[in-house]
Amino acid sequence: MERVYKKAVGVKKFLNEEYIEVGADDFRDICTYLEKKQGAFRLMFAADERRIDGTFKIYVVFSIHGKDAFAVIVLPLKDALFYPSLTVNIPAAHWYEREIKDLFGLTAERHPDLRRLVLHDAFPAEVYPLRKDHCFKEREWVREKIEDKKIRSYEDKKDTTSQLLSFPTSYSFMQVEGEGIYEIPVGPVHAGIIEPGHFRFSAVGETIFFLEPRLFYTHKGTEKHFEGMSFSEGVKLAERVSGTSSFSHATAYCLAVERMSGIEITEKAKAVRTLLLELERLYNNIGDIGNMCAGTGLAVGYALGAVTKEKLMQLNDRLTGSRYLRGANVIGGVTKDVFQQADDILNTLDIVTKEYKSLMKLLLGTISHVERLENTGRLSKELAQKLGVTGVVARASGINDDIRKAHPHLLYDRLYFEPHTSVRGDVFARMTVRAAEVECSISMIDTLMESGYKGELATAVKDIRPYSHALGYTETPRGSVFYWVMSDEKGRPMRVKLRSPSFCNWPAVPFAVHGNIVPDFPLCNKSFNLSYSGCDM
Amino acid sequence: MEALQFIIILIFSPMLQGLIKKFKANMQGRLGPGIFQTYYDLARLLKKDMVVSNVTSWIFRATPYIVFISTLAASMIVPVITAQYPFVAVSDVIALIYIFGLARFFMALAGLDAGTAFGGEGSSREMTVAVLVEPMMVLSIFTAAISAGSTNLAMIAKTQNIFYSPSHVLAFSAFIVAVIAETGRIPVDNPDTHLELTMIHEGMLLEYSGRYLALMEWAHYMKQMLLFTIAVDIFFPFGIVAGALGITGFAASFGIYTGKMLFMCFLMALIESTRAKMRFFQLPSLLGGAFVLSALSLLIYIMMGR
Repeated sequence: MERVYKKAVGVKKFLNEEYIEVGADDFRDICTYLEKKQGAFRLMFAADERRIDGTFKIYVVFSIHGKDAFAVIVLPLKDALFYPSLTVNIPAAHWYEREIKDLFGLTAERHPDLRRLVLHDAFPAEVYPLRKDHCFKEREWVREKIEDKKIRSYEDKKDTTSQLLSFPTSYSFMQVEGEGIYEIPVGPVHAGIIEPGHFRFSAVGETIFFLEPRLFYTHKGTEKHFEGMSFSEGVKLAERVSGTSSFSHATAYCLAVERMSGIEITEKAKAVRTLLLELERLYNNIGDIGNMCAGTGLAVGYALGAVTKEKLMQLNDRLTGSRYLRGANVIGGVTKDVFQQADDILNTLDIVTKEYKSLMKLLLGTISHVERLENTGRLSKELAQKLGVTGVVARASGINDDIRKAHPHLLYDRLYFEPHTSVRGDVFARMTVRAAEVECSISMIDTLMESGYKGELATAVKDIRPYSHALGYTETPRGSVFYWVMSDEKGRPMRVKLRSPSFCNWPAVPFAVHGNIVPDFPLCNKSFNLSYSGCDM
Repeated sequence: MEALQFIIILIFSPMLQGLIKKFKANMQGRLGPGIFQTYYDLARLLKKDMVVSNVTSWIFRATPYIVFISTLAASMIVPVITAQYPFVAVSDVIALIYIFGLARFFMALAGLDAGTAFGGEGSSREMTVAVLVEPMMVLSIFTAAISAGSTNLAMIAKTQNIFYSPSHVLAFSAFIVAVIAETGRIPVDNPDTHLELTMIHEGMLLEYSGRYLALMEWAHYMKQMLLFTIAVDIFFPFGIVAGALGITGFAASFGIYTGKMLFMCFLMALIESTRAKMRFFQLPSLLGGAFVLSALSLLIYIMMGR
């Protein structure tokens, strides 16, 4: 780390976060050094801080190996709208830099692929929604113009709009050429009730040669939306980023705000949050194991998984009034003392454990199912590391990474658990890692239920100092989630960055399916089980 | 009167599909839709408007009729409850296989016609599977045909040569694999999936809607019942009326036939519920294995004489 400090312009420490300000010349070297030698790349984002010191800032967050510390590299951009790209040295930064370009108009120099990512063609060029001076009225102005001219037909309307605003050149997919290669466009509208995403396969016969996913059809402007809310209202929005990880998202968000404002939550609140996080992980992992059976056509396994998951979701409903554990988190604590329903939790857990064991016995005993999973959708450890994948996918590829272990929060420092890894990296490994996590969650819940916890459910909310910021994080069933919040001069949100695990893992899907056959894609995709909504914020 | 036995196939085939779905649902611990649901679905589809892509040719529009009529023609020449009917002269196994071939050929063309990726995939996979299934099916029927001394289905059924010998068992297992592949069931194809990328039979039908879809679906149900019927005609022909059809003969034969169909439905549901779908590139090992079974059964029959 000495090497980093030597080149740093300024170093600021806050809890376990160390903000290291660097110059543009050293930016790439320092980040590469940190990624290669010291830690893991977590996320990268920009913030419009022109109001404070006239700069845009690029933040790159690294976890330091072996200790509970984050190194946050800060690059202020005074006049330039360019910064050196990290993607060449840290491939995991690829999507982050494209995202920053779309939303802030800050270009990563020498980035290999600067096509639009987050915003689609219908969004006008040179309009950057996350800049503070972005004005929604601009669009209203266009609308007024159109109404003035009394334009009725759609074609006319499009013409006028394009005269007033410029639009980017339309998105071009990567082209694969060669004898016998044909393209299969799939989506964005799919059969079944799932979210939109377009997949462009280039296949040779049945073998997938190249896959380019195009996501972000459901870009909702979540981060911008946070800025218009108060911090306590934001909890509701965080809960709705991704349905199946509602509680994890809300917890990470609350932790960020609590750390920023110096609220120390009680032991009781910590215990309730830990318990509900594990319950959420439990129902997701069991549901995912069942869902993989839908990919192989093993209907009985799918049905059993769904039944067991349903029992856990009904338990959630009885505990918190929401099947997705919504409304349980507030800034400063929780709203429900779920330990009062300890009997219900333990009884349901008993039933679920039995059902889960018979499900696993069935799945592992069905050779035709296991045969489909083995060697399908393999993601090597090397690739997984380069792409910075997280969660079950990372652990199934042999990366021992779990935010609960790396940066203990809530009661995770007191609970005994080991992250389960596998070196296979295929669909079967992702199933076994999930299975191991189910057992881990069950034993953690049992341990949590053994002792009593003191304290109020929620502590009073303190005033938030202007321009303070902090990270919040936890492990969702899919992988790590990060929130970075910053307050403005009135103590309201100025910037909320959220990085969901799906954003890290989607870029890995094309690599995992390479060389597999087209009919196996749904199975590979199910084994990743990524969220569209959680990615297309 | 005997000539109308194909009406049984026409009318009851959707119910058979409903039964298999019901059995499967019960095995998965679900209640499942009623056994008449397939009729409601067909009625609804027949009433609905059609959406036809404007890049399609006459093939797309003609295929539903060709498929439906050829399947209906096939069901006319198959003995259902009596082996004494006017079309006996043409009820040849080889003719039957080629009538199915005609329907399949047009279905594959129609899959390609609209120019969508999924239709093309479905057609290409269907033809790959067909190449493997057809010879196996023919060989397994030949074991029974040799013992009956004819490839005429009515003759085979009439001979009533119920022989519980190794060749019989082998031929029957091979034929069941052929039935699974032909009806698009697990482990070859998944009839209940919504995942277009994995589809074989359903992939070819993706562009169809309304009346055309109803005809294609109905033809598929009929083909399924036909294959079940052929299986019992060849391997378990007991109870089929060999002479003129009286009221008692009809009742008895129909009762036994119902029992056999229920057994076939249950067998299909059981196979589908206990297995996962195979990886597409491993299908040749299943279908090739079944081909070896049928070849073996023929060899054993020729060498052992039974």
